[in-house]
Parts: sequence; C-alpha cells; structure tokens
Amino acid sequence: MENSDLQASHDFFELWLKAYEATYGRIVDMPVMGPSREGADRLRKNFEATINLHAAWAQSIASFQSAFAEATRQTQEKVEKQIAEEGASPSSYKDYYDLWMNTYSETFKEFLKSRFFASDLAKLTSNSMDFQKSSRELIEENLLKPANLPTRTEIDDLSKEVYLLKKQVRELSRDLKGSAKKK
Amino acid sequence: MEIADVVENNRKAMRMLEVFLKVPEFSVGTTPSEVVYTEDDMRLLHYIPLVKKRHPVPVLIVYALVNRYYILDLQPDKSVVRKLLEDGLDVYIIDWGYPSGVDRYLTIDDYVNGYLDNAVEKVKELSGAEKISLFGVCQGGTFSVMYSSLHPEKIRNLATMVTPVDFDTDDGLLHVWAKSLDADKIVDAYGIVPGNLLNTGFLLTDPFRVLIDKYVGLFEKLESNGDDDHGERENEETVKNFLRMEKWIFDSPDQAGEAYRQFIKDCYQKNLLIKNEMMLNGKRIDLKNITMPLLNVMGEYDHLVPIAASKPLNDAVASTDKETMVFPTGHIGMFVSGKSQREICPRISSWLTARSG
Repeated sequence: MENSDLQASHDFFELWLKAYEATYGRIVDMPVMGPSREGADRLRKNFEATINLHAAWAQSIASFQSAFAEATRQTQEKVEKQIAEEGASPSSYKDYYDLWMNTYSETFKEFLKSRFFASDLAKLTSNSMDFQKSSRELIEENLLKPANLPTRTEIDDLSKEVYLLKKQVRELSRDLKGSAKKK
Repeated sequence: MEIADVVENNRKAMRMLEVFLKVPEFSVGTTPSEVVYTEDDMRLLHYIPLVKKRHPVPVLIVYALVNRYYILDLQPDKSVVRKLLEDGLDVYIIDWGYPSGVDRYLTIDDYVNGYLDNAVEKVKELSGAEKISLFGVCQGGTFSVMYSSLHPEKIRNLATMVTPVDFDTDDGLLHVWAKSLDADKIVDAYGIVPGNLLNTGFLLTDPFRVLIDKYVGLFEKLESNGDDDHGERENEETVKNFLRMEKWIFDSPDQAGEAYRQFIKDCYQKNLLIKNEMMLNGKRIDLKNITMPLLNVMGEYDHLVPIAASKPLNDAVASTDKETMVFPTGHIGMFVSGKSQREICPRISSWLTARSG
C-alpha cells in the first residue's frame, strides 16, 4: 500500500463534509415551526443522517478504490519484472491468475489491517445505524402511528416484558426445585 | 485468444453445467441423535452411541452462537462428533437455534447461567454422572470457560478449541475491527443483529480467497477429474462436499442483541475476561476458579481466533493438569480437514477418554 494515498481521500471527504455543514447543512439545520413541527423535524434529522451515511459510504468506496489501484499497479509491476527478467509474460491463464490473486490478496490484507479501513468501517457502521434508527423513527411517527398500526418499538416493549416474565418464571422454578431437594 | 480457446472454454462451461445439473441432494449433521431437552430456541442433542462400551463421564459440546453446531458433524468422513463416539465417549451437543426478535434481550448470563447450566443439569441427570466434560468451540469455548469458572463443581474436564479469551491482540482482523465498532448503535438499531452482517465481516477477512479463489479452485478440481464414470462420481462428491461447507458458511443465525453488545464491549473492547473482571449477573468470573484438567487446542494459521487470543488461558487458570495443542491448520481446518480426522480429533479424544474413567 506504499504508493496509495488513503490519507488524501480521507482528507478530501472530511473537507467535503465540513463544506457541506458550513453551507447547505446550515439550511437543513434551521429550526422548524408550525403545527407539523415534530414530523418535519424528524424528516430534517433523517436528511442529516442520509448525508452522513452518503459521506461515509463515498469515503469507504474511495479507500477501496485506492487499494484496488495499488493492487493493480503491483500486479503490473510484477508482470513487467517477469518480462524483463525472463523475456516473457505469464504464459498461461493460470500463471497470470495466480500472480493476480496473490498480489490482490496480499495488498488487501495490508489495507484491511490499516487504521484507515478500521476507521472507515467504524464510521460507515455507525452512520448506517444512525440512518436506520432515524428512518425507523420517521416511519413509526409519521406513518405507522397516524395509521393506527403497531410499531417496532411497541413490539420491542412487548418482547422485553415477555423476556422479563420468562426469566422470573425460570428463577422461581429453580428456587422451587431447590426447596424441594432440601426437603 | 484464438477461436480454439473460445471453443475449449465453452466446452468447459457446458461440462460444469452438466456437473451441477446432476448433483443430488446433500445433507449435513447426519450422525444419529435425539433431542433430549429444549428451551426456547435451544435444543440439547444426545448422539446415539456407536460402540457398546462407553466412558462414564459424558461430553457436552458447546459451539458458538455465530454459525451452526453441525460443522462438528459436517459429513460422516469429516466429523469430530463421530470420532469421539467411535472412541466410546458419550456425546451431547447444544444447538442454540435461530434467535428471533423476541430474543433480543438475552444476555451472556442467560446463555451461560441459563441455557448452558440447564443443559449441563440435563446431561448430568441423563447420564447419572456428578460431573461432566465440557468441550467448547470458538465462542462456545469462551462460554465454557465462563461456565467452568462459575460452576467448577459440575465440570470434570474442560477442553477448548480455537477459543478466544485474551482479546487484546492485533493478530486477527476481527480483533482489530471490533475495537472501533460502536456495538451500542448496532444493537439499538437492529435489536437482533443480522447474521449476514457478521458474515460480511468474516468474508472481508480474506475477500479474494473466499469470494473468488475458492470457486475458481472448485472449477479447477472438477475440470481435473476427467470425463469418465469415475471422474463423474468424483465430481459429484466434490460438489456435495463443497456445498456442505457453503451451506454452513452462509447459515448464519442472527444474534441476540444484548449478548452481542456485552461480548463486543466486555470481551473485544475492554478485554475483561482474561483480567478476571468480567461480570455475569453480578458474579465475577475468576479464571483461577478453573482447577479441573484443561486442554486448549488452537490452529497455527487461524485468522479468526489467533493463537495470541487463545494461548493465555493456560496461564490464567489454576489447573495443574493442563495442556496446549497447536496444529498447523486454520480455523475451519480444525473441524473438516484431513488433518482434523487423522490427527486433531484422535488426540482430543484420547485426552478426554484418559480423564473420563
């Protein structure tokens, strides 16, 4: 990965996000007023989560592309070296495939172990979760509740009740068994 | 590329198509067993003995929540379970099942002090043994270590295989990535963490090998087997074996959110288990409580659970009878490779049988 510029792509997307926040982001951040304030505010937050997800996604793709470009460069370099030393390029499909596979695997191993990938993955996962949570809230509050339909949050509440009840029953059964054994 | 190459490639493609069109049904986990206990999604399976004389101390195998238990009994000639049975061990295994939305609040405590403890009690009841052997694999090994520390009076022997206990290592990619994951956000958003999400992580540890090279290797093997009847039979077996592994790899149960949250935060991020600081329902897990014989088995080329994550267990416990076995294989190779059947299983089995009298 020595020739790839992962830092530059990271810097670019940081800059892009900062520029967005200083311009369009400010419009999106404007306070919402009026009778539909709450619903509109949820829409606004979801838009913000979408932008953050988009930025993290683009940054991950750019990092992957850098790794691909580096792997391709190294493969090409190896083929050129082989031609220079042996006077011929890989003679069969299999020779070339092995060279390609080994080079790509090794380059990506290095990339996947780098702090860039770990931070890309963490950011992408975090922003995806924010987007998913915000979308769920939006759908629940703006669509399901007005339509008088059950929501995931309500189902989760029920699941928790069931979980706690089952746990209590188990503990009581265990205590009963213990008491019976003692007798 | 010349016309002759195009014609040859077309011929190969047609042959592959024929191979796949002929492949019969395949099955996994075929060693006969009966379900002896169920609780929610969890099932406890008891394998039907293969030999008359059995050792009196039964073995309970505990596999991970991620992926399915049948990797230990993938097919008759690649079966850890079968090897143990052939050596006269009385074998039980836990199938954790497929958690659904209602299971999102299950914690590690529920798994270890709930399901696992109830399974141990059931095995004791059915076998009549006062203590049993625990054989924990991967994350199931971590659970078995926790259990043995909290309930040492019930465990005669503890065997762990590719089991992480010291998570503070950068040798495996999962350990590197998990450190920066926001488990709270994942669990709060999903509730039940999708198995496919975790599987994507496993695939990313070596993407070109597992997403391309594996399939190229299959086609090369099929191509090399020849066109005659013998070649056709070999191809059928090759495809069936491949599909069994393929089924296992992508058969990824979803994860109970709270258990996942605690595993990532307490184990991968804070590394509490090896420091004797991990708590389950108010009880501290002290590895020095582990005094029973310990066998710790690991793979030299394991990229999911590196040796650095498993090896420290032996120094952390108080057992005097303890042994480490390192084999030159990877994580999956531990269960399904030729080496597994020839070398790994017999050695684990003889370690257990020697302590099951």
